[in-house]
Amino acid sequence: MAKFNARDRFGDWWDKSNPAQRTIFRIVVIGFFYALPLLNNPVIDTPETSFKSVLFYPLIMFSLMAVGLNVVVGKSGILDLGYVAFFAIGAYTHAVMSAHTSLNFWEILPFAMGFAMLAGVILGLPALRLRGDYLAIITLGFGEIVRIIAVNTSAIGGAAGITGIPGPTSIFGFEFTVMDPRPYYWLTLTILCLVIWGVLRLTHRKPGRAWEAIREDEDVAEFMGVATLKYKLWAFIIGGAVGGIAGAIYASQIRSIQPELFTLNLSIMILACVVFGGMGNIWGVILGAVLLGYIPEKLRFLSDYRIIFFGLLMVVMMNIRPNGLMPRKKREKIGEKTS
Amino acid sequence: MTKKLLEINNLVVKFGGVTALNEVNLHVNEGEIAALIGPNGAGKTTVFNIVTGYYTPASGDVLVDGKSVLGLRPYKIARAGLGRTFQNIRLFGDMTALENVATAADSLNQSGLIGSLFGVPRSRRDEKKSMETAMELLTFIGLDHRAHQMAKNLPYGDQRRLEIARALALNPKVLLLDEPAAGFNPQEKVELGNLIRKIKDRGFAVLLIEHDMSLVMKISDRISVLDFGQKIAEGKPEEIQSNQRVIDAYLGVAEDAS
Repeated sequence: MAKFNARDRFGDWWDKSNPAQRTIFRIVVIGFFYALPLLNNPVIDTPETSFKSVLFYPLIMFSLMAVGLNVVVGKSGILDLGYVAFFAIGAYTHAVMSAHTSLNFWEILPFAMGFAMLAGVILGLPALRLRGDYLAIITLGFGEIVRIIAVNTSAIGGAAGITGIPGPTSIFGFEFTVMDPRPYYWLTLTILCLVIWGVLRLTHRKPGRAWEAIREDEDVAEFMGVATLKYKLWAFIIGGAVGGIAGAIYASQIRSIQPELFTLNLSIMILACVVFGGMGNIWGVILGAVLLGYIPEKLRFLSDYRIIFFGLLMVVMMNIRPNGLMPRKKREKIGEKTS
Repeated sequence: MTKKLLEINNLVVKFGGVTALNEVNLHVNEGEIAALIGPNGAGKTTVFNIVTGYYTPASGDVLVDGKSVLGLRPYKIARAGLGRTFQNIRLFGDMTALENVATAADSLNQSGLIGSLFGVPRSRRDEKKSMETAMELLTFIGLDHRAHQMAKNLPYGDQRRLEIARALALNPKVLLLDEPAAGFNPQEKVELGNLIRKIKDRGFAVLLIEHDMSLVMKISDRISVLDFGQKIAEGKPEEIQSNQRVIDAYLGVAEDAS
């Protein structure tokens, strides 16, 4: 029996399509996501929380972070259990800099990204000399260290955190107010599109091959001339940059941050999005982030029991599809033998 | 005098109290197929792991094309001109055959990550070149029809040959082959012998570790024999075949009854 395979069907269509068709497809898909907060669809609406705010957090935030973490975990095979640290650094950068400088959100954004990248280098240089479990433990520690420093530094509010963080100034006629999460969603979606574009560029070229080689067999990658430390460091830097941007947007939307927002739980959650969706496949990872963000909100009518159902669902799903919902799998083309 | 592309001088390697290699001298000349043979555990693969930078020797020196590579990171040694294969196949399983070879070809260009991101002309050129080199090598090795298949899904023999293509993509001065005929049937061994000769004809020097004596004797220009970490013989295939110490090492010596 020929098995219907949506991925292969789509892949065949994509290979045969012309540039115009592809552009139309892209515009339709991206347009759909931009229009999402304007639709009032009772099927996808979340019953007890505002769907518009669910769209911003957790859906699009999780997606952005999962795409960033996927470069580290899915592409390069480095288990990072402290990804929340980059998110926290981005959030605190915006909170602190907007309080102490006259810069606005848009001017701070590069700093949030830059500091998170710097943190990636600082963590990566010593840590990436280790592998596997040991590296995972170091990243776990890093995530906790950042949070504990935030708790114990009174200059950045200590355990009480920072309140009164300004939102972004209006841009292209979009006002960023406390009441309306939609502009934040559109902003994050725009950044997500840019990040996807950049990550796809990289993964289809030399850096992507280097990352995959490292994931498959780090020693052999090194024997084949791949500067493994350099590319692992780049993976950390890129993952960190994305986490930093996400953090800055998040801080500007919720207006007050506390260290308790940046616990290990969030690192695990984003990692779960990556694993659940399909490690190494950017589309799978986004699907994972969307589902893992959405399902608990949709199940809110079960009150606290929803977490049990959510856990149960994950256990069942990981048994049915251990490689994630959309595993990374390149389509194989079998050619004719010429010689 | 012929140029020595790979030179190993007075190499001593110790693992804890065990001396794996003791004062070993080896070299590979330009344009020759040199073979390294010896019983199991003689230290042949250790030689490969030393010259490619995986272990550091206790003493001795390794020169690639006259320059010492001791203490360099393995990727730098690979770029300096040593490509290797592995006794147990170690391909990048979840990558296509073409990508496996292109990954090694990539290391010959200097394009960086930022260039790839923005698609600067140099990066595009290098990308194209890597792909062309990889495809050309796959054709050379006879695997062009499998270019877009996952390495892990290839038949065993194709995987072995893909490893050779990947090592060749480094454009090495010396190609190090670690038991390339392991698991091959006689027909495949003949084909492999022809392939190694073709590689030599392309101008690559080869250092071959192999247990299959008929293959080694047929294609090698020069053979070195290791036993318990010592080099016990070196010479042309005919000389090695009649060397008493080599025969003793392989077959053992009858113990004196007295």
